[in-house]
Amino acid sequence: MTTELGESVPVLAFPRQTFVSLLVFAVVWEALSHLAPYLGIPAFAIPSFARIAKSIATITPIDIVVTLARVIAALIVSFVLGLALALAMYRSDSLDKYLHPMVRLLMAVPVVSWILFAVLWFPGVEFRIGFVLVVVCGPVFLVDTLDAMRGVPRELRQMMRSFRPTTWQYFYKLLLPAIVPTVFTSWKINISLAIRVVTIAELVGAVTGIGHQLSVAQELFSVADVFAWTLVLVALLFLLEAMVARVEARVLRWRA
Amino acid sequence: MARVSGPPPIEVRGLRKVFRQTTTGQSVVAIDRLDLTISPREVVAIVGQTGCGKSTFFDLMIGLEAPSEGFIHIGGKNPHADFDYFRGKIATVFQQDRLLPWRSALDNARLPLELIGLSEEEQRERALAWLKRLGLGHFTNAYPHELSGGMRQRVAIARAFAVEPNILLADEAFGHLDEVTAAELRETFLKLARECGSTAILITHQLEEAISVGDRIVVFGKSAQLLADIHVKQWEKSKYLLLREAIQSTLQNNRADPRLAILH
Repeated sequence: MTTELGESVPVLAFPRQTFVSLLVFAVVWEALSHLAPYLGIPAFAIPSFARIAKSIATITPIDIVVTLARVIAALIVSFVLGLALALAMYRSDSLDKYLHPMVRLLMAVPVVSWILFAVLWFPGVEFRIGFVLVVVCGPVFLVDTLDAMRGVPRELRQMMRSFRPTTWQYFYKLLLPAIVPTVFTSWKINISLAIRVVTIAELVGAVTGIGHQLSVAQELFSVADVFAWTLVLVALLFLLEAMVARVEARVLRWRA
Repeated sequence: MARVSGPPPIEVRGLRKVFRQTTTGQSVVAIDRLDLTISPREVVAIVGQTGCGKSTFFDLMIGLEAPSEGFIHIGGKNPHADFDYFRGKIATVFQQDRLLPWRSALDNARLPLELIGLSEEEQRERALAWLKRLGLGHFTNAYPHELSGGMRQRVAIARAFAVEPNILLADEAFGHLDEVTAAELRETFLKLARECGSTAILITHQLEEAISVGDRIVVFGKSAQLLADIHVKQWEKSKYLLLREAIQSTLQNNRADPRLAILH
């Protein structure tokens, strides 16, 4: 691999800057954890890495699995609903005119409001969490896929129509493959969004999941536990993004 | 490869297409009462200046647009109203290759075969055979971005011929290529069209292309007004330069040059 200037860049270069910045952060944190009592900060507020490591060791995998399952299930439902509605709106201008303002409205509502609505409307915890995730992520999938469908070049649409496909063939052989790059981008955005939203949603009423564990840690004033669970969340996000990026690279190998 | 039944004649009568401009609300007459008959297996080149209605005529021929008045009948059927009837019977080669970037050359060439519902095996066989005929046998798995402009246009031609259509339409199909590649592809296109026994309609603004390819040259004036209908075979090859000048003059003056009537 070479840069525009023709310099040679190793394909798997060691991420020196990332490593240095993380190391600096870790050193400052560790130093502060030892200096906290002298600075008038309670010792529990900045736990040492040894204490955080202890918290990590006590992490319960079931909570990770539950949160992960909630995120993935909600993302799949959001994607299917978003894509189906986007297709319907693409096909029908009048449906688009009716639904578009509604979608804009949904996207403007804060996540906290959705959580409160969910608590007031639904008794079941799982349904509440699922509802909040779908109502937050669904519109993003809808808007992204609809924009991508409308962005399919006129030349390709004309070429396809000139061969007289059925409606299904037009969707399956042109629209769907054409929007795949946008779909992957949308998934990456929504994974990040869903991980943040599920944590907040699990804070309310859930008895499992990372959000619930964060709530417990907060009740116990355990910054080490909060830190540990937050690390898990970040790792989970990176893992999911890496998985999507891997599938993306495989599916979009046709790109230059 | 040629069909037994052969392509049907094309009849255009009183064809008129009016567009309403979205910004001004004014009506624009793209085609104004065009009459034209094209016999089976004829190769017709349509020439005209930019904005004369060539591309609108192309869209009407494919059936993507409906006429405002008049009709196009292909074997008695209307390409717009009887849209599905013409699946696999009309194929097009566009100005740009318009290949689907996520499909390999083979998968692009077999696209129309998928649409007409051939078996997977038959699709592969036929698409592969056409790619080989167009000299792309070693590039079947290449994606469009891995091919040169000429090779991409070859795939587009293979895609059009793969269904062995009755009617072939080409809209400025070779105009964007370098002259050597364009001449080569033009020749290949013509040869294959004749072998397939298809009626071919080529829209072009290049007079040399029209003269070298067409059995007939139809000259469009403003709003696709039929200025001249030239049967090229009636002209001696030695007079092609004069023919070119006469067509040029016709286009410039928007009326038939008298030399077209007397010189051949």
